Amino acid sequence: MSQARRGVNVKTAEGENARANGVREYLHENFGTPMELVAWLRLPVDYGGHAGVVAAHDSAGPLQQMKVSFTSAVDGFERPAEIVWMSGEQAGKIIAISGYDAKSGEIGFSGPLEAAPAEGTEFIIHPGQGLTDGRRLYMTHCVHCHGTSGDGDGPTAKYLNPKPRDYRRGVFKFTSTKEPNKVTRDDLKRIVRHGIPGTYMPSFMLLEDDELHAIVEYVRWLAMRGEFERKLNAELSGDYSIEALRQRKKGGELEGEIKDELKQFLASDFPEAADSAANDLADAWNGAEQDDAIIVPAVARVDDTLQSRAIGRHWFLSKEVNCQNCHGPHGLGNGPQTEDYEEDPLTKQKLSEPGLHDDWGHIVKPRNLTRGIYRGGRRPIDIFRRVYAGIKGAKMPAFGRKIKPPAETQVDNLAQWQDEQIWHIVNYVLSLPFEGRSSAGGGSAEVVDLN
Amino acid sequence: MKKFWACFFIFWPILAVVLCLMAPSQQWWFPPTHGLDIRETATGDELREQLAQASYVAGTPLGQQIDDLFYLINWIVTAVFIGTQAALGYVLWKGATHSEDKKARFTHGSHNLEVIWTVIPAVILLFIAGYQMNVWAHYRIIDSFPDEAKEYPVAEVTARQFEWRIRYPAPGSKLQLEPQPDDLYTVNDLHVPVGRPVMIQLRTADVQHSFFAPELRVKQDAVPGLVIPVWFEIIEGGQYSLLCAELCGWGHYKMKARIVAQPQARFDEYLVQLQTEQNDDGVPDEVEDESARE
Repeated sequence: MSQARRGVNVKTAEGENARANGVREYLHENFGTPMELVAWLRLPVDYGGHAGVVAAHDSAGPLQQMKVSFTSAVDGFERPAEIVWMSGEQAGKIIAISGYDAKSGEIGFSGPLEAAPAEGTEFIIHPGQGLTDGRRLYMTHCVHCHGTSGDGDGPTAKYLNPKPRDYRRGVFKFTSTKEPNKVTRDDLKRIVRHGIPGTYMPSFMLLEDDELHAIVEYVRWLAMRGEFERKLNAELSGDYSIEALRQRKKGGELEGEIKDELKQFLASDFPEAADSAANDLADAWNGAEQDDAIIVPAVARVDDTLQSRAIGRHWFLSKEVNCQNCHGPHGLGNGPQTEDYEEDPLTKQKLSEPGLHDDWGHIVKPRNLTRGIYRGGRRPIDIFRRVYAGIKGAKMPAFGRKIKPPAETQVDNLAQWQDEQIWHIVNYVLSLPFEGRSSAGGGSAEVVDLN
Repeated sequence: MKKFWACFFIFWPILAVVLCLMAPSQQWWFPPTHGLDIRETATGDELREQLAQASYVAGTPLGQQIDDLFYLINWIVTAVFIGTQAALGYVLWKGATHSEDKKARFTHGSHNLEVIWTVIPAVILLFIAGYQMNVWAHYRIIDSFPDEAKEYPVAEVTARQFEWRIRYPAPGSKLQLEPQPDDLYTVNDLHVPVGRPVMIQLRTADVQHSFFAPELRVKQDAVPGLVIPVWFEIIEGGQYSLLCAELCGWGHYKMKARIVAQPQARFDEYLVQLQTEQNDDGVPDEVEDESARE
């Protein structure tokens, strides 16, 4: 399986984690290193290359050419190519091919093939090409902020505020998906293409589509790697972290016993845990690409009238939605919550500095909505989704399907009514930069009577 | 040894002239204006072929005038350079082959010569200063900008670390100094109409940057606190590069954008398309139609 020259190993379903025993070995086995990547096919990452199957043939002995069919159209291969068999007896074996003749549909082998793979054997040519492309582009454009492993701690990171995203939690802030769902490929592509205004993430508009795709796949792959590592660590840290070890020794257990127990656990239960961690990862990332994960408002945007803005303002200041608690009564991002001392999620102690903290432990400031800078995008649907699903990993909560109609209001279709309320909030928020300016359509929303 | 040093100092100016003469044929000259597809995947041969076929004429009429000025000054400087270096070479060689027996003669100045070599450069400099005045004024002084460009600025371009943020007025509206609710936003992608003078308002959100479109021969610093009008008229439709020409921080090299010149009708369509995208409410059109019918 080793193929150091190109630096990608392909890991098929067979022989999962044969040698691995600890977290580090698991990571190495399934993800490799930046110099020698492993394409772990269980994960929903597009590793690139050209997939296909072997067509019917009668020869069993040595053969020089072989008829194949590709999943998607292929003209030929300019560079010396490699083929990896994905199924059958020779699964995982990589050999060199000399070329592909699109007319006859045959690939030629560099040397005669001793045992011909059976009809229907799946293969990939240029295995892992997408991952190596992604790595090259990532190392050119992203690594100096986001770091080699995607930990958001590249050489320039310490000069930046807000900090570059640490992918390893698998959490990305601005998504088009519902609250529990992960980020989609399209969301990431949009961010890379347009940048994040108000932060140091610049736009990479001039990258071609296939380059963007490769970068996004590499970033997703890094995120999955980090998440996998965290999941495995979580599996062990409860009973075997240094702190846990200290506690257990205090409780009278002997270090030797605990070590034996750990060995036992690593040999018997841990592979299963790793297996289900991989399954969870695959499910979660696949789930984000499903249609039902995307937030689609139940109603079109409500007309941006003064009336609508006034209702939005009502919710903004209301007890239920309470935007002003963080964003401030005037949307300046200076709500009372920003002066509060939060609890440390682990120790339950009050933190020594006031302010809201995100999942990464950094202070986050609620957006000053009067500036007209929208990090997650300025389209109405972007703001709608921010209100609906919140900002993941940050303190912006999800309000989708949570606003309750007042007791005296008759509501036929609750979902529609709720989304209408979010549209009112969107209309109000989008009007904030222009509030009090004569060009903003006649004046402030405050003058309109709600009744 | 004297002859070696004479040859040494004669050799370098000759090499400089030869390299300058070779430069255009080796593409060490102006940037190619059209039809380049420089991708990271393009091979060296592909690039060389494209470069050989590319046009090196400036993409704007004003740019062509600037090139003419450049060539004029280039020829004057070349003549002066060759003249002075030939004189230097002659003197060096004479000195190197001078007989050891003859004594050197010391002279103290020549009034006539000094007048000549003061007046001639002064006349040349005055000529250049006067000759370029119109081009300079046309390029930089807002009063001599074409009215067409001045009247309707196409967009506001805001440089920031490390990208170009662009704000267009909504179709049918005029660009205002302050952002408007219906403004349209893009980044690193400046579309302008082709074949007519257009003006952009240049500003910066942080440090000093420089708006540099090498193929169009346009370069203007973006200075914090100032809104600087920049105009240009692109002759041929297509894509041109927009770079930052002022070292603005660690990510300076990332500030690559494109200018897309397209016919007025296509440009108008582009703005409408931007507007549609920007007003996207995420509800598919069919659903929207249905709810409208209810």
